[in-house]
Amino acid sequence: MKVTDIVEKLELTVFSGHEGLGRVITGGYSSDLLSDVMGHAAAGAAWVTIQTHRNVMAIASLRDLSAVIITGGETPGDDTMAQSNEEGVPVLGTILNTFELSGRLYSLLKEK
Amino acid sequence: MKPFRADLHIHSLLSPCGSLDMSPAAIIRHAAARGLDMIAVSDHNTTLHCELMVTLGREAGITVLRAAEVTSSEEVHSLVILPDSEARVSFQAWLEQHCSFAPHDPKIFGDQVVIDRDENIITEINHFLPAALNATLDEVEAAAHRHGALFIPAHIDRPSFSITSQLGFIPEDLYIDAIEVVGAAPDLLYPIIRNSDAHIPEHIGRRYTTYMLDHPSFTELSLALRSEDGRHIISSQR
Repeated sequence: MKVTDIVEKLELTVFSGHEGLGRVITGGYSSDLLSDVMGHAAAGAAWVTIQTHRNVMAIASLRDLSAVIITGGETPGDDTMAQSNEEGVPVLGTILNTFELSGRLYSLLKEK
Repeated sequence: MKPFRADLHIHSLLSPCGSLDMSPAAIIRHAAARGLDMIAVSDHNTTLHCELMVTLGREAGITVLRAAEVTSSEEVHSLVILPDSEARVSFQAWLEQHCSFAPHDPKIFGDQVVIDRDENIITEINHFLPAALNATLDEVEAAAHRHGALFIPAHIDRPSFSITSQLGFIPEDLYIDAIEVVGAAPDLLYPIIRNSDAHIPEHIGRRYTTYMLDHPSFTELSLALRSEDGRHIISSQR
């Protein structure tokens, strides 16, 4: 499943990193502790979080994640979006909370 | 110029986690008994015990700096050490403007009271003080420096509420005056200090930092953190 597919199926906002919309999503990881994501998220995962700090992008790129999904209607700062564009890792958004979004993403990835 | 011992991270009973015997007078007494020359009172997101502590400290011959341990929206704790009373008043207003007013239950979290020198309760704070402010870490840092304060990410080697746990690593472009650590010194280029983060009297001074200063004061501390004019950090104990 590609990033574009989940954008469409989960009705996500695309904030930045449009270049990476063709990336393949192979799993998901939900966490708001960047130290935890740094140690545990698998490459190819879509990362679900409420954190919007620019360090999110450094860690997404370090772990080779396919996308970042920001929940709860939070919006990323300009510096976060700029880095997302630079890295080509999309930052997506939803009004759903992390529990709801993770559940839907999990079902979607399992279907396939 | 000579060495002075400072513990710049102490909670009073105003912090819900601060024990009820952490009254300003008791803190000063214990600090004196531990041989500390300078302390900072740093309650969670509030500076409301600072002025009383400065007065009590002056009477006892201990320099008290005005401070707060501020929680950013990322839930990163940082010490903000303020230069003077005027800056404290203005920074207190900033803290109140950015407060998220999280509900507080003293039965679960502990009491949050402001007391006077005779230990009478003046005010009780009814929202949960340590809750994240509506301000990002960048905004906290900017507000601190706008007030002429020192901005010091707290206990960066702890697994919770630290810049490292919340943000993975220290953002390079963040303007940091020093970092506070609990354990071994990290391989970082920032000035490193240690403080007790005391919530009970027995913990005051359990960790401290020794500075080479002319006399204990905010200005002298600032010089020491920048290693200027012969002022510097001598060592910190853990």
